[in-house]
Amino acid sequence: MTLTWLGRVALYFAFAGAIGGIIHQAIALRTGRPSRSLRWALVSLFGVGAAVAVMQIALITHNFSLAYVSENNATFTPLLYSITGMWSALEGSLLLWALLLAALIAVVLRFYRRQSDDRVVGWATVVLFGVSTFFIGLMCGPADPFIHNGAKILQGAGPNALLQDNPLVAIHPPLLYAGFVGFTVPFAFAIAMLITGRVHDRWPLEQRRWTVLAWGVLSVGIVLGAWWSYQVLGWGGFWGWDPVENAALLPWLTGTAYIHSVIVQDRRGLFRVWNLSLAIATFSLTILGTFFTRSGVLQSVHAFSSSTLGPILIGFFSVTVVLGIGLLAWRGDRLRSPVGVDQALSREGLFIANNVLFVGFAVVVLLGTVFPLLYEAVNGGQVTVGTPYFATVAVPMSIVLLVLMTLAPLVGWRTLDVGVLWSRVRVSAWTSLLVVVALVLFDVRRPMVLLAYFLATAAGGAALRTLRGAFVTARRRSQPWWDALRGPSAGGMIVHLGVVIMALAIVTATSYTTRNEVTLATGQSTVVSGQYVTFKGFQTVKDSLETATQLRVDVDHHALLPAITTYHGRSDQSVGTPAIDSNLERDVYVTFDAVGGNGATSGAQVEGNLPAGSVVLGVTVEPLLAWLWIGGLLLGLGAGLSFVRRRHNEVDAA
Amino acid sequence: MNIVKSFRLWCLAFLCVLAVALVAAPSTASAQGRIAHLETLVKCPACDDLSVAQSNATSALAVREDITRRVKAGESDNKILTSLEATYGTSILLSPATSGVGSLLWLVPILVLVALVVAGVRLVRRR
Amino acid sequence: MIVSLSVLVVVIAFSAFLATRQPSDATVAQSPLLGKPAPNVAGTELGGGTFSLKSELGEVVVVNFWASWCGPCKQEAPELSTYAWTERHKGVAVVGVVYDDTVSSATGFAAHYGSLYPSIVDPGGVIANNFGVDSPPTTFVINRQGKVAATLLGPTNAKQLAAVVAKVLQ
Repeated sequence: MTLTWLGRVALYFAFAGAIGGIIHQAIALRTGRPSRSLRWALVSLFGVGAAVAVMQIALITHNFSLAYVSENNATFTPLLYSITGMWSALEGSLLLWALLLAALIAVVLRFYRRQSDDRVVGWATVVLFGVSTFFIGLMCGPADPFIHNGAKILQGAGPNALLQDNPLVAIHPPLLYAGFVGFTVPFAFAIAMLITGRVHDRWPLEQRRWTVLAWGVLSVGIVLGAWWSYQVLGWGGFWGWDPVENAALLPWLTGTAYIHSVIVQDRRGLFRVWNLSLAIATFSLTILGTFFTRSGVLQSVHAFSSSTLGPILIGFFSVTVVLGIGLLAWRGDRLRSPVGVDQALSREGLFIANNVLFVGFAVVVLLGTVFPLLYEAVNGGQVTVGTPYFATVAVPMSIVLLVLMTLAPLVGWRTLDVGVLWSRVRVSAWTSLLVVVALVLFDVRRPMVLLAYFLATAAGGAALRTLRGAFVTARRRSQPWWDALRGPSAGGMIVHLGVVIMALAIVTATSYTTRNEVTLATGQSTVVSGQYVTFKGFQTVKDSLETATQLRVDVDHHALLPAITTYHGRSDQSVGTPAIDSNLERDVYVTFDAVGGNGATSGAQVEGNLPAGSVVLGVTVEPLLAWLWIGGLLLGLGAGLSFVRRRHNEVDAA
Repeated sequence: MNIVKSFRLWCLAFLCVLAVALVAAPSTASAQGRIAHLETLVKCPACDDLSVAQSNATSALAVREDITRRVKAGESDNKILTSLEATYGTSILLSPATSGVGSLLWLVPILVLVALVVAGVRLVRRR
Repeated sequence: MIVSLSVLVVVIAFSAFLATRQPSDATVAQSPLLGKPAPNVAGTELGGGTFSLKSELGEVVVVNFWASWCGPCKQEAPELSTYAWTERHKGVAVVGVVYDDTVSSATGFAAHYGSLYPSIVDPGGVIANNFGVDSPPTTFVINRQGKVAATLLGPTNAKQLAAVVAKVLQ
C-alpha cells in the first residue's frame, strides 16, 4: 500500500502546486503585486518528479503491489525496458507528459523571471498552469497510475513484446511528448496576447524560438517513430496512415505552417490572425491527438485503450478551441495590420500558399482519420480509409510544396522580378533537367518518380544557393564560416535539404520496392532482386527474458539474424523480429515467415508441405531507404541551428 | 553562357524532356501493372491498415491469388473490387467507394481548399 | 464574425460527435470455418467442472477466446457477462476459452471482471489452433446445428453480439 499512497500523495502535491500557481498568478494579475509563480511551478514539478520516481522505483524493483507494474513489467525485464515501461500504457504515459510539462513550465518561468510583472507573461503563466492542472488532474482521477493490486502477484505480465525489442522505445515517446508539450508555450502566449490585446509588440517574435524547439523535437520524434516501426513491425514500411500516426502528424502540419508564417510576421508584420490561430490550432490538435490515442474509439496498433478518458479529452479540446475562437473574435479589430500584401506573386504570397497547403492537408488527414466513425454513424457499416486515399491527396500537395520550396527562398519580398528570379533559379532548373535525362537513360521511367526528382533537385538547388549566399556574406564580412550557419536562413535551408532528401527516399522506396517470398533449405542460396541470399541454419537463444528461434541468413555476405522471438511473462507473446542489411544504395529487409516440417518449437507459421529444415523468408529490397533517416537527421540539425540563429537584424552584433 | 541564361531555351528543353518522359513511360495497363495496383487498394483481412501488397499474412496471400486469378480471367478492376467487397465486407477496401457518404471524402477537401484559397486571396486584397 | 461562428459550430458539433463514440465494435470476419461444423470445444473449466460443445447442440453457442494479458479483452469481459446473463434462458450459451495464458492469471482475470459464464483452459492451444485464432479477443458464433455461423475479430459488446446472434437465428 505504501507505494500507492506515496505516488498518490506526490500527485496531489503536484496538483496543489498547479492550482496554487493559477490562483497566485491570478491574484498577482488582479492586484499588480509581484508574482512568485516560479515557486509554485517548482512545487508542482517536485510533486510530479516524486510521482515519477515512485513509479520508476516500483518498475525497476519489480514491485507488483502496483497494478500498473504487474501489467507492464516482470521480474526478468531488463533495466532499460523497466524504465521505459512507465510509458508503455495509458496512465504512465500521462506521467511522462505531466513531467515534461511541469519541467517546461519551470524553465519558461525562470526564463521570463525578470518580466514576471508583464501582463502577457502573467496570463501565459495562468494558461500554462491550467493545462498542467488538467493533466495532473487526469491522474488524480480517472487515470490513476498507482492503483494497488489486491491480490499478491508473484510475476508480472511484462511489457508488450513490441515495446521491449528495440531501444528506440526509450527515445521516441519522450521526444514526441516533448514536442507536443512544447507547443503549449506558443499557445499560452497566444492566449495571453489576445487577452491583454498586446498583439503588436515583440511577444510574437519572442515565441519563435520556443516554437522552433518544439517543432524540431516533434519532427525528430516522428521520424524516429517511423524508424522504430520500420525496424520492428515486419512489413518493411515506415508509415501506415494509422490513426495514431495521423494524430501526431496533425499538430506537426499546422506547426510547420506556423513556423513559416511567423517569418512573415517577423519581417513585415503581417498574418497576425493566421499566426495566432495556428498557434492555438497546433496545441488543440495535440489534445485531439491524445484523444485518438487514448479513447479506444479508433482501431490502431499504437493505441492505448480506455473509454472513460475519451469524453474528458474531447471536452478539453473543445474548451481550448472555443476559447481561442472566442478571443480571436473579440480582439479581431485590433489584429488587422496596417499594411497589406502588395502582390500575390511575392514571397508573402508564396507563404500564404504555404499556409493554405499545410492547413488544407491537415484538414484532409483529420477527415480521413475520423471518416470511419462518420460512416458507421450514418450507415452502420465499417469502412477503412487507408494509404490510397491519403496518398492521392499527399502527392499533389507534395508537388506544390516542392515548387514552393524552390521559389520562396529565391523570390523577393513584396514583388516578384521574373528576370531576377530566373537568374537565381536557372542553375537549379538546368540541373533538374539533366537529372531527369540521366534517370531516363538509366531506365527510370515512371512519370511520378521523374517529376519528384525534377522538383526535388530544383528545391535542393534553391536551398544550396541560399546557403552558399550565407557563406559568401560571412566571408565578405570577415567572419568565420561557421558564423554563416547562425545566419537567418541557414537552419531553415538545411531543414529544406533534409526534407528534399526524405522526399526522394520516400518516392524511390515506395515506387521500386520489391517483395519476395523465398523458400530455402539449410545451406541453400539464391539470388533475389539482385541480392545474394543464403540460409545457413537455425540458432536458438534462451534466457530469462526471451526464447528466440533465429535464422542465420547471409545477405550479400553480411550476416543477419531474422527471428521469431517469444518474450516470457504471463503472456508468452511471440513477435517476428526482422533483420535489415542496410547501405546507402538499398535496404534488404528479411523476415522469418514460415518453417517447414512440423516446426513445433519456433512459434513460426508452419508450412506442412515443406521438408523440415527449410524456411520461407520474406525478402524485401528497398532502394535508397537509408536516405530517409539521413534526411531526418539533417532536418533535426537544421532545426537545432535555427534555434540558435541570430535574428535577421542582429547580423553585425555577432 | 547565353545558352544557360536564356529562359526560352530552357522552356524548349523542358518540353522536349517532358515529351520524351511521357513517351518512355511504362504502361500500367499490363496484367502485372493492374494486379500490382489492385493489391494496393485492398486491405489485408487480418491487419489494421496494411494492404495485401504489403502483408504476407495467409489471408493476404489468399486475396492476392484471388486478384491475380480474376485479372487473368479478364474481369474489370471495378468488378474485382466489388466482388471482394461482397465477400469480405465494405471495410476490405482501403479507400471507400465514392457514392453516398463516401463522396464527403472528396467533396470536403475540395471545399476546404476553396475556402482557404479565398481566405488567402482576401489577405492579399486587403489594403 | 460569421467565420468565427461557423467554425465554432463545426468544432462543437465535431467534439460532441467524437465524445459520443463508443469504442469500436469487433470486425465481422470471413473465416474459412464459416458454414463448416465447429471444431470441438471441450475441457476443464476454470472453476472446476467440464464443458463440452457437443452437449450444447440445439443451442446457439458463443465461443470467446481471451487472455488476461490482452487489453481489449478487459474491455470486452463485462459486455460478455452482461450478454451471457440476459440470454441465459433464451437458448444462447456463452463459453470462454483461455488463450495462451496461465491458469492462475486467467482465474484472477475472471474473478476481477466477475465473469458470468464458464471459461475452459486450452492446454497446448489445440482448440485455438483448430479455430485458427491468432490473436485474442476472437469470438465465434456457433448455430443450433453446430456449424460456425459468424466470426468476430477484436473486442465485441453485448449490442453487437445480440445483433449477430439474431441474424444467425434467422
